[in-house]
Amino acid sequence: MLTRRLIVCLDVKGARVVKGVQFVGLRDVGDPVALATRYESEGADEITFLDISASAEERSTLLDVARRTAEQLFIPLTIGGGIRTADDVARALRAGADKVSVNSAAVTRPEVLTESADRFGAQCVVASIDAKRDEQGVWRVWVKGGREQTPLEAVAWAQECVSRGAGEVLLTSIDRDGARIGYDTDLTRAVSNAVHVPVIASGGAGRAEHLVEAIETGHADAVLVAGILHDGVTTVRALKDVMRSAGIPVRDIPVEVAA
Amino acid sequence: MSSSPLRVTVFDYEAGNLHSLVKSLETDFTEVRVETDPAAAVRDTDALVLPGVGAFSPAAVKLASGRDAMRDALLGGLPCLGICLGMQLLFDGSEEGPGTGLGVLSGQVTRLAAERVPQIGWNTLEDTTPRDTLLVESDLQTAYYANSFVCRPTGESARHVIAYTTHERDRFPAAVRVGNVVGTQFHPEKSSAAGVRFVRAFLREAASHVTRGVGL
Repeated sequence: MLTRRLIVCLDVKGARVVKGVQFVGLRDVGDPVALATRYESEGADEITFLDISASAEERSTLLDVARRTAEQLFIPLTIGGGIRTADDVARALRAGADKVSVNSAAVTRPEVLTESADRFGAQCVVASIDAKRDEQGVWRVWVKGGREQTPLEAVAWAQECVSRGAGEVLLTSIDRDGARIGYDTDLTRAVSNAVHVPVIASGGAGRAEHLVEAIETGHADAVLVAGILHDGVTTVRALKDVMRSAGIPVRDIPVEVAA
Repeated sequence: MSSSPLRVTVFDYEAGNLHSLVKSLETDFTEVRVETDPAAAVRDTDALVLPGVGAFSPAAVKLASGRDAMRDALLGGLPCLGICLGMQLLFDGSEEGPGTGLGVLSGQVTRLAAERVPQIGWNTLEDTTPRDTLLVESDLQTAYYANSFVCRPTGESARHVIAYTTHERDRFPAAVRVGNVVGTQFHPEKSSAAGVRFVRAFLREAASHVTRGVGL
């Protein structure tokens, strides 16, 4: 049976993980390679690097980080942020990403999804969608890191992304992001029921029960977690234990690396 | 074990990321090279690896000039590990697109019969009996998949399935083995510690063939 995934997201700027990450006993707490492999040993099913680089120099540094990470990480790695063209996708894949997520660029030019899927297969093209409810209660798509609203409606946009070649949807609720009050299960369910590819719920995880809700009520195939892990509020193991107890199929955490 | 390193060649159809795969193949008894020419890939090597990223047709095009040489080498006993698309290339053809596979196993590659496609994530393996030595040694139980297509072995080839996986209601071969040729629909190089152990078990087995070959 296909298990539900717990994906850990790290914000990376150049060669460093930014935002606080509080692992006890890890010497270089800002090193993406060390953190990614540490989360793998804790039982994370996948790692996502969100590139928040502000310059071309930082961006090329990140590709080097991806290369070093891929040589030590033996679970899937997704890279997102700043991807504009199919050539950008090619560079990220060559550097060591298994999947690449595309956000603003897909809104500007949706053909980038098709071009990337044709070259590398749908399974490595992730449509990243940031959604926020407007005054009328409609989920609108926002771009440029949540700074700019578009007229697009999130569910219809997700369907278009999939029809254009995306093999997975990473769905972030801007309303919930960082709030730790739970994922937007209505949004997640609406998108998940409207597309035939896996949907990753993102934004709002505060405790383990929120992950269970996103999967059971929101019909998410995977859940993305960041802050509560980096801040040491909980652990991958504790989150997965609760998911398993709730009857959700999850990958067992290997004993030999968990000790 | 032979004192000279096991020569492992990865056939690169230039479709994507080989970093984790190459790293998983690098051990203290292997020497790994990446080769884009299919005929050269089976020369001067002790094991061949067909990686898992890309689409069937472009890969079949890259394979075409060396297809017969590669097929002969595999039928002649060269140890081979085909991963995902690499496993699919062991079969006759694919409905994903035109092109001829190696035909080491008979059957076609068809689309997963499921609602959620591609299948992306960790799925459980159902071993056949007796459990294959690679699965015993690695104790791989849940493996990472990223695929829209699966292999459908026909005739005798159906007996070469060593594990199955089920996505929704579609039960498909997770892994096959015919002689020294092993195919996995999952990505062992992305299946964490147990997946890497699976790759290493394959390499150790390949090394034991080389040692035996030298003794003949």
